[in-house]
Amino acid sequence: MMGKLLSAEFMKIKRKGIWFLTVLGPIGVVAMQMVNYGVRKDYLFGQNDDRWGYYLDNIHSFTPLAIVLGIVILTSFMSSIENETNAWKQLMALPVSKMSVYLSKFTVLSLLLLISSVLLLLFTLAFGISLDLGGEIPYDGLLKYSFYPFFAALPVLALQLWAAAVSVNQGVPITLGIVGVILTYAGYALPDWLIWKWPLLLNEWEEPIINVLLGAGTGLFLYAAGMIDFVRRDVK
Amino acid sequence: MEYIVKTENLSKHFGQEKAVSGLEMKIPKGEIYGFLGPNGAGKTTTIRMLLGLMKPTSGRIEIFQNDLKQERLNILRRVGSLVESPSYYPHLTAKENLEALRKIVGVPKQRIDEVLEIVRLTAAGDKKVKGFSLGMKQRLGIAASLLNNPELLILDEPTNGLDPSGIIEIRNLIKSLPSECGMTVLISSHLLSEIDQMATTVGIVTKGKMIFQDSIEAMRMFAQQSVLLKVSESDKAWRTLLGRGMKAGLDNGIISLPEQSDENVAETVRGLVADGFSVYRVEEERRSLEDIFLQMTREEQAG
Ligand SMILES: Nc1ncnc2c1ncn2[C@@H]1O[C@H](COP(=O)(O)OP(=O)(O)OP(=O)(O)O)[C@@H](O)[C@H]1O
Ligand SMILES: [Mg+2]
Repeated sequence: MMGKLLSAEFMKIKRKGIWFLTVLGPIGVVAMQMVNYGVRKDYLFGQNDDRWGYYLDNIHSFTPLAIVLGIVILTSFMSSIENETNAWKQLMALPVSKMSVYLSKFTVLSLLLLISSVLLLLFTLAFGISLDLGGEIPYDGLLKYSFYPFFAALPVLALQLWAAAVSVNQGVPITLGIVGVILTYAGYALPDWLIWKWPLLLNEWEEPIINVLLGAGTGLFLYAAGMIDFVRRDVK
Repeated sequence: MEYIVKTENLSKHFGQEKAVSGLEMKIPKGEIYGFLGPNGAGKTTTIRMLLGLMKPTSGRIEIFQNDLKQERLNILRRVGSLVESPSYYPHLTAKENLEALRKIVGVPKQRIDEVLEIVRLTAAGDKKVKGFSLGMKQRLGIAASLLNNPELLILDEPTNGLDPSGIIEIRNLIKSLPSECGMTVLISSHLLSEIDQMATTVGIVTKGKMIFQDSIEAMRMFAQQSVLLKVSESDKAWRTLLGRGMKAGLDNGIISLPEQSDENVAETVRGLVADGFSVYRVEEERRSLEDIFLQMTREEQAG
């Protein structure tokens, strides 16, 4: 059943600008550094002997914001597909379980974000090489900075999806999304327990993997809670 | 009798409001069941429960003699539906819309062309639904409901937004479904004239309660027919009848006799003739179903 639902979902996101956003996100993040390094390459090279590491840090300064913003916009686009003409009732009157419908939405969003992450990795690598940073390419760090934020942001994804799927008034998920983006933007100054801070990969032990595990665990929990609530409710 | 749909004491409350209460719906196989009621009577709420879109507050639903709660997916595989205003994906074409649903119900691709043909949308198949007229969207919704060759078709106000020729077309289509495809059809409406022309069985609901459920003939019988007499000197004739202790009305020179058996009518006419009145016409008053419906709902409200 999931296979059928997923292929239907991918059909429905055509012409919605969803693919465009998926590609635009990572391009945007790397483009910021293109400007940064374009304007003051020599200065930035002088800042740190580990030029690759410094470059990756710079890239990462925009990734959390991009991913949270991306989640908010993508979930809003995704749910608008069903909300626009209340197609939920048509979809759910088909022989599909509500759980699998919810799972298919979550899966499509996760896949899109993963594709963004892969693209981020490729663009980061390509621009890094073109900068001639010297030394070995730190594939380790490249992978971390490309994929860790995705896992750390899963709780935000689960929360936004739930809000978008159950709210009759779409102002609710949009408000929640805007607050989330602001919290991520101001993440450095905020306490560690806020899920919107997690994509920054900061914690008092300086172990980014903690954010990944916490993100995946909490994300799974929030996903399950959201799905149970969605299943329990009457269809809009 | 084999019932395709059977509800037992079905109720749905929204807080204090009892949208549906104690509904016992019985739809025999092969019937076109007209589900009739004024706005806010609970038709859509009932239909949503039949499709598992809403959980009943209490009561039981059996479709194809299976419990909906336990067999929802297996039941829905054999059901087609259109609930309230049609749902669609405006950024996709008509064909893409149907394809998105077809992938899930898993019928062959050619079925898309077939259903588009049935609702006469073939020419608009590759156009985006965004630009469709209301009637075209409605047709697309009906096409979608037919996609899986359902054994039970549930249509909530399917002729909404259609022009007269569209209404006739859809009506003919619906009428042909039981005989041609062996379908059972549940069709809701707040317009009696519409149900009158399609349905073979009728259920009338008002304020969430079923106040009548039987064949359409039985419904017509339910109408208390009166016999109208056109006679000479109607005023005098009417007094004579009243003098004999008969219930009779006089309206515009026409005498009306409520609920009379054939013998009684014959007796009355013989009496009038014997008294020297000329009887010009004896006819049955044909009351529209609209009147019957209004009368029924009014009685319900009074009682
Ligand atoms: N989700 C809901 N929440 C609260 N009340 C509801 C909800 N859905 C329906 N109702 C109420 O239930 C009652 C029955 O509504 P329903 O839509 O079933 O009527 P209907 O017979 O389909 O009317 P119409 O002919 O206008 O379509 C109405 O009073 C409505 O306000
Ligand atoms: Mg309705």
